Amino acid sequence: MKSSSANEPAVDQFESRLIRGGTRLIADLTEFFRDYRVDDTTFAIYARGSTRNKGFLLSRFFAWTVLPNYSVSLFCVDEGSALLTTEKVRKSVDTVARITKDEDLKWAWLVFFSNRDLPPPIVSFISRYDKKELGLAAASTSSRQVVLSNNQVGRSIGRQLKLRKTEGSDHTWKN
Amino acid sequence: MEKLTKTQIPILASYSMPLVLLSAFAINALLVAFQISGGPLRLLLLAGSFPIGFVFGRLIYTRRSHIEIQFDNSTFRVIKGSKEVVTGFWKSYRMVSLVIDQFGKPNLRLYETKEGEHVDLPISRTNAEPQRFRDYAQSLVTGQRPRGISPQVAEAA
Repeated sequence: MKSSSANEPAVDQFESRLIRGGTRLIADLTEFFRDYRVDDTTFAIYARGSTRNKGFLLSRFFAWTVLPNYSVSLFCVDEGSALLTTEKVRKSVDTVARITKDEDLKWAWLVFFSNRDLPPPIVSFISRYDKKELGLAAASTSSRQVVLSNNQVGRSIGRQLKLRKTEGSDHTWKN
Repeated sequence: MEKLTKTQIPILASYSMPLVLLSAFAINALLVAFQISGGPLRLLLLAGSFPIGFVFGRLIYTRRSHIEIQFDNSTFRVIKGSKEVVTGFWKSYRMVSLVIDQFGKPNLRLYETKEGEHVDLPISRTNAEPQRFRDYAQSLVTGQRPRGISPQVAEAA
């Protein structure tokens, strides 16, 4: 019984891609939690790893000698059909920022999924977010709109995590 | 109890191939002794080294490396070869995660406490679909009713 990607929720598809090594070029996420609760925020996906991938023989040697060993994490919030508000985004950002500090992470990704269209304040908030240690993204499964934060880590969500592919987005929102 | 298992072909092949080679040498020695030096009979007899090697390879594989995970709604057991390597109750654990091993294969990890002691279930060596089995295990660990769908994956024909 194989999971059919057509009927799979976007979060599951996104996680599948990450498990298959979707972030390998930028970070090696090695552990995946679902419904991970921190205080009163529940993350649909919490993945952690490092920038030094394990590999085998040559790639492992290359990683050990060249790549820095920074801890990184990915957080994903699935709002479903509830309205994604700036307040919720801010709260999640604060929680992730605290975890980033507590666990000495070099950077973290925070991705929001919503079944509704992204409200303009969310688009504005995320696209203006520019703190370098946290990359933000929001994706609407109904309109297939994807918004990325205006920093290196945020832009990498589009490139490396292939969020637009998960959403099947054919029209991209650009900063 | 439900079972998750899969024949790991690369490991089976690694056990069998030296035995295929050895049995081919033995058959060849017999052919020389009986002065069968050519023709289709020689080829046919030498080809017998494959089934012989794979039968003995399979025996060694089954006794040493074959992984089977048995579980129901309260307990689980991991059997490697002829030994039971892990056993426990789902309720003894608090958290569940998928851990990617060095070969990029996902395995299930059960935590007794947050960031504490854990056990790994090698589901990548079975026919389990990792995410669905993780969801199933998580529902048992957190005490929710398990979803009706079996996490087993039909082995490819």
